[in-house]
Amino acid sequence: MTTLDDRYGPVGVADERAIKRLMGDWRNGRADRNFWAALSDSYVMVFSIAVLGAMIGSAIFDAQQQAAGCTTVGCSAARGLLPWAAAAALLTLTLVAGRMFGPVLASAAEGFWLMDSPMDRRRLLAGRFVLALVLAGVLVGAVSALVAALTGSSLSHVLIWAVSAALGASGLTALAALEQTFDRRVIINVLEWVMGAAAAATLALLVASAAEWIAIDPDIDAQLAFIVGGVGLVLLVVAGVAAFTRLREIRRQRLTSGGSLLSGLQGAAFALEFALIRDILVEEKSRQKGHVNPTRGVGSGTTALIMRDVQRLLRNPLSLVVFAGSVVVPYAVQALGLQALNVAISGIVLMAALIPFMNSLRVLSRTKGLERMFPFSPTTVRQATMVVPAVLALLWVFGAFPAFAGVTGEVRVDFVTAASAALVAGLAGFLGAVRWVSAKPASYSGPLVATGTGAMPPGLMFSMIRGFDMIALTTFPLLFGLPAWISLVIGAIAFMFLSSGMSQESLMEQSAEQRRLLEEEKAKTKSGGTSGSGQKIKVQRKTR
Amino acid sequence: MAHVAKRDVVLKVEGLKKSYGPVTIVENFNLSVREGEAVALVGRNGAGKSTILRCLVGADRPDEGTVLIGGNRMTETNPAVRRDLATVIDDLDFFPDLAVVEHLDLLARAHGLEDPDDIVDDVLEQVQLVQQAGQLPSTLSSGQRRRLALATAFVRPRRLLVLDEPEQRLDVQGVEWLGRKLREDLDEGLAIVLASHEPSLIAAVGAREVHVGEQQ
Repeated sequence: MTTLDDRYGPVGVADERAIKRLMGDWRNGRADRNFWAALSDSYVMVFSIAVLGAMIGSAIFDAQQQAAGCTTVGCSAARGLLPWAAAAALLTLTLVAGRMFGPVLASAAEGFWLMDSPMDRRRLLAGRFVLALVLAGVLVGAVSALVAALTGSSLSHVLIWAVSAALGASGLTALAALEQTFDRRVIINVLEWVMGAAAAATLALLVASAAEWIAIDPDIDAQLAFIVGGVGLVLLVVAGVAAFTRLREIRRQRLTSGGSLLSGLQGAAFALEFALIRDILVEEKSRQKGHVNPTRGVGSGTTALIMRDVQRLLRNPLSLVVFAGSVVVPYAVQALGLQALNVAISGIVLMAALIPFMNSLRVLSRTKGLERMFPFSPTTVRQATMVVPAVLALLWVFGAFPAFAGVTGEVRVDFVTAASAALVAGLAGFLGAVRWVSAKPASYSGPLVATGTGAMPPGLMFSMIRGFDMIALTTFPLLFGLPAWISLVIGAIAFMFLSSGMSQESLMEQSAEQRRLLEEEKAKTKSGGTSGSGQKIKVQRKTR
Repeated sequence: MAHVAKRDVVLKVEGLKKSYGPVTIVENFNLSVREGEAVALVGRNGAGKSTILRCLVGADRPDEGTVLIGGNRMTETNPAVRRDLATVIDDLDFFPDLAVVEHLDLLARAHGLEDPDDIVDDVLEQVQLVQQAGQLPSTLSSGQRRRLALATAFVRPRRLLVLDEPEQRLDVQGVEWLGRKLREDLDEGLAIVLASHEPSLIAAVGAREVHVGEQQ
């Protein structure tokens, strides 16, 4: 069907399906490999995933075995609460992701080329709305099932938690989409706080239950799962239908901002630059915040840098609350009877909790421009930016010490052993965070390594384990039953290395510079020590 | 110019060479800049102006040649060099969680100013960012970010100022202001090296032109 326009003549009606098919053809037409070809090329990755899967399976089996040893009422109740805490945390993450990305989104190109056309926006967006619901459900369901399995739950409980959490996540995503159609954020923000508080409260409840300070019905986890699943289903149906009928109302800017954010994150994810992913998210957050009440600095010299980090603490109370909440983790792990893994697990949690306090270190590490403006050596700058996180880590060690002493578990530990374990966990978490934040990205300018998935820089292979490598290095001696002082010595050496800012690349550069200076000196000696007039300005370009 | 010749040499470059792979960008570049003197590197795009500046400030390591700042060999990590050298080249970054005015306050304090309020306010006014004092850098326009970058160089003590196309993204009034500001710096005895495509800025500063990338 066509209409006649005075200026353009006959104008057809846009067919959204045809346009989507056309876009699909373009994309498929540009692909130079099909799925199976890509899979066979990436056999190393497939093999790695298989090994990783086997390790997770083994961990689940071990957890099931350990669960048999968790015989007291308190321990059983605590294990039952862990899936609930995980589900609350995952649902909070679902809300955060939904608010950040849309959850319905469009690329900048689609926003520019398609949103201006007279096509039905709902027909274009319906598919990706459903995709967002399915993705949220599948991902949250899978992780919930894994957590439930790791806590030694029976198969029926694992299934109950997987389905309930999946329904909850899909329901909340539908609600976020409905809010997106109204261009509102307030309800989702409030729900994020409520769910986050629920996750923290459940973790505290878990500790109290394991320590047998309070008694909890061991069957409560299944009841809660049914509540989560039921509410999720209602939300999915009601908010889902409402959001679908209002898809045309979503503003273009709300669609494309999520798409731009996603494409930026995809780029960073392909390079395995997780710190860059965080940079993008921090930048997005500051763009939304826009303005702060400026505060006057304190002190001068390096004190100014340190005190600015102290002022940042007060500016981000939520990060401080999350950090304080992370102290509960070693108590929870001990309560669950996993004391052998407590140092490593607590170190990883501390690493994640400390990263938000390292914005100075991150910015001054990623590019030299701002760091060069400070009248200190790079080592001094790095050490100044590490002071506040180090003090926080030390406070965390004091807070976590009773957990390592066995306050919440069934095993009591002597003072020195507990203090050493707490100190090693704190040091590991601190070093892991410093490494994660300040490690240089993989360099594509150097030699590349041939792999099944194509050429890649050697540093890329280590990008995924950044931070975790420091935790492993520091905590392995304790895990293998060696004395704690070995861990502390390794940690001290790692600290010296990290605080100096030295890297393989900078060491090679220094070595090359030394060689160059030596050759210059030799040349000067040979030519009688003269270095030419050097006064005349003379610029030459190599002629070919 | 006789009085300039008596002043101390702040920057001395001898036999600078920089290549990227097989492509030589700069070869045998020599330069001497005294206190109160400005030098403008001019030349077409890709001539090597930015490469020279990056070598001068230590962002890139030259393949051959020496760079002396205040008589000391240029070492980017040397605190004495960092105290003397203020730079605005293409690699400047900002803290995402600090406001405009907080960036300037932090830099001034880091350079030893105990009470930098007056100088920070003065510089903010000069770069016309008073209204944006509380804004986070990600919300600034590209021109405002450029002004903030220039402000970070003006808010701190310095002997040598190195600027790479400082006129970029500035409006006409901004370029005029920059010319006056750099002229004031020169009168106070600072040394300036800038790369620029803006003849009016070079003329306003009264900088000696050095043509880069021309066949000898």
